[in-house]
Amino acid sequence: MAYALSKKKKRAVLLFILPGLCLLSMFMILPFLMSFGLSFTNQRLLSRYATEFIGWSNYERLFRDDLFFTGLKNNFVFALIVVPIQTVLALGMAMVVNKHLKGVKIFRTAYFMPTVTTMVVVSVVWTFMYNPQGLINNFMQAITFGNWETVDFLKNSQWAFPAIMLMSIWQGAGFQMLIFLAGLQEIPEILYEAATIDGANKWRKFWNITLPQLRNTTTFVLISTTILALRLFDQIKIMTNGGPNDSTYTVILHLYNSGFSKQRVGYASAITVVFFLIVLAISIVQRLILREEREV
Amino acid sequence: MKKLFFLLLMVLTVTMVLSATVEIDLWFHSGRGAERNVLQDQVVRFNAMQDLVFVNAIQLPEGSYNEQVQAAALANDLPDLLDLDGPNMTNYAWANFIMPLDKYMSVELKNDLLPSIIKQGTYNGKIYALGTFDSGLAIWGNKAYLKKAGVRIPTSVDDAWTKEEFMDALAKLKALPEVDYPLDLMLIESGEWDTYGFSPIFQAFGADLINRETYMTADGVLNGPEAVEAGKWMRSLIEKGYVNRSPANDAALLDGTGALAWTGHWYYNNAKDALGDDLVLIPMPKLGDEDSKYGGQATGMGSWCWGITTNSDHPYAAWLFLRFILRPEEILLMSNANGAVPSRFSAVAMSDLYKEGGALELYVEQADKIAVERPVTPAYPVITLEFSRAIQEILNGTDVQKTLDRAVEEIDWDIEDNNGYPMD
Repeated sequence: MAYALSKKKKRAVLLFILPGLCLLSMFMILPFLMSFGLSFTNQRLLSRYATEFIGWSNYERLFRDDLFFTGLKNNFVFALIVVPIQTVLALGMAMVVNKHLKGVKIFRTAYFMPTVTTMVVVSVVWTFMYNPQGLINNFMQAITFGNWETVDFLKNSQWAFPAIMLMSIWQGAGFQMLIFLAGLQEIPEILYEAATIDGANKWRKFWNITLPQLRNTTTFVLISTTILALRLFDQIKIMTNGGPNDSTYTVILHLYNSGFSKQRVGYASAITVVFFLIVLAISIVQRLILREEREV
Repeated sequence: MKKLFFLLLMVLTVTMVLSATVEIDLWFHSGRGAERNVLQDQVVRFNAMQDLVFVNAIQLPEGSYNEQVQAAALANDLPDLLDLDGPNMTNYAWANFIMPLDKYMSVELKNDLLPSIIKQGTYNGKIYALGTFDSGLAIWGNKAYLKKAGVRIPTSVDDAWTKEEFMDALAKLKALPEVDYPLDLMLIESGEWDTYGFSPIFQAFGADLINRETYMTADGVLNGPEAVEAGKWMRSLIEKGYVNRSPANDAALLDGTGALAWTGHWYYNNAKDALGDDLVLIPMPKLGDEDSKYGGQATGMGSWCWGITTNSDHPYAAWLFLRFILRPEEILLMSNANGAVPSRFSAVAMSDLYKEGGALELYVEQADKIAVERPVTPAYPVITLEFSRAIQEILNGTDVQKTLDRAVEEIDWDIEDNNGYPMD
């Protein structure tokens, strides 16, 4: 990046950044700064009385709030399980649909379909599938010749979270697949040809060409999946509302409940600030570990 | 000079004519289709019958209606007139964004409204909200199944089933080959339904949602021994196989796989279509001791109602529309469409469903004798959220005492946080 831009170019760059920057400041940076300010007040959604400055009280309370930590723990468990599985699965799917086979477009569409469907719709459909009389129980009954004991997946504290994880992986993998697919198509064919001449088998080609070439893509996929996983909310709100027995409670659900349902806007702002710092820290660590290679 | 005067006069007349029609915004939740159609029709007819007020009606989805209203209040973006779920009135009134309606109400109207409507709309001595209908909560039954199982069918509040009789009835109905789960608690829904539908169970057992003497704490009331007993009884319905924890729909009674449906007036029209003369309305059972706080038997009351916002520029125009839909004949149109209890005595008398001997007369008797209003306190949004959560968890089989303790803790925290919600 060391070369200087001409004045004209600089202006062009500025012009291109401007719309994005405007939107970001309006809808991300400004609200966040406001949250930061509100987190030191007792602001309520609605109140007869004026808002007061209450110092660090919201933060002190946050560190004594069991539900926040339950949510945080669940968020981490979710990320630790879903991110690796989803990434590997997405890569596998991308490799399959990258083959020049007949009908591969149908597969591509099929894999990508869940992603373009709204999470709310997906959640409602899967709620029916997880019902004791639903598709999944019936299917298990059929393949075990009736030996499967019906499970009420979403009302059972052992099953509810894994059930939601499975659905989330299925829903999200298509998007990552698309990114991997783009990455795969960027790898020059020459590399594989050279490797073939050198007598490398498929496995060696995968380890020594595909994976290293996908490094930047993988970094992006890992970080974005992690952030998405930590933001877990829609499917939880619709399918379990945090239950049973808090087994699917997440930080964002806690945030929503505190800020909207219980009207504690000040407290919810404190949650946002702390959670933002946690997510930021995770992203930085991830970035340091999986340092992206940049061509300049 | 004369010319100028003439011109001025013209301008004045034109502006007066133009501004003669006052436009007001109205928000309502998009509930059941029949309700929506009646309201839309009322808006059209109201706009056509006079030139003073033009009502611009906007419907919002029900699921997050309360949140949307609150967000709009925060942004100073509320309409002139809006409908709200009865128990939220107190919070809205406390937060000062709906106004008292007393000054608009005639004595005649006040005396004609059902006491439950006044009760649910009154806070701090003033009436803030008025509904065109009240709700009714009881048990819909399949007469053929009840007869087949040899179960007595009670017809009035006083000869309702006792707890033992109720459990016995459930056991007998469960034994019928047609029946999968005898009782449907409408668990396909959650949220406000939990509080509306199941707090009467707690009240019948002698518990309550909050200490109604002070409205300062729920401790000892929502987590006392009576409450724990109520919670355990509810859970036992699932453990015994009487209630399906995860029904796929709300139609068990209608399709014949269930025998009883614990639900409100809104179920009537569909049930009547499905069961015809086999449909019977059964009073809420006597679950608790007769000498407990609510006499061992309770039902819900209160429904959606209307409030005028404090930031309305034309509150009187909003009142004119509200007064229009509160006419007995308009109330009747709504009541016939959704099966709800008409909110005025004069409308009740005209209603085929609710007059003496009508199919839904029992609701009026229940409202008169055993209806308990949901707590009238600005802390209600938190109370209902925590109670609903507790009910869902108890039905899932968590420790009842611990679950209720946590609900109490959250409710008390909220009240403390707001210094007990002082008025001024």
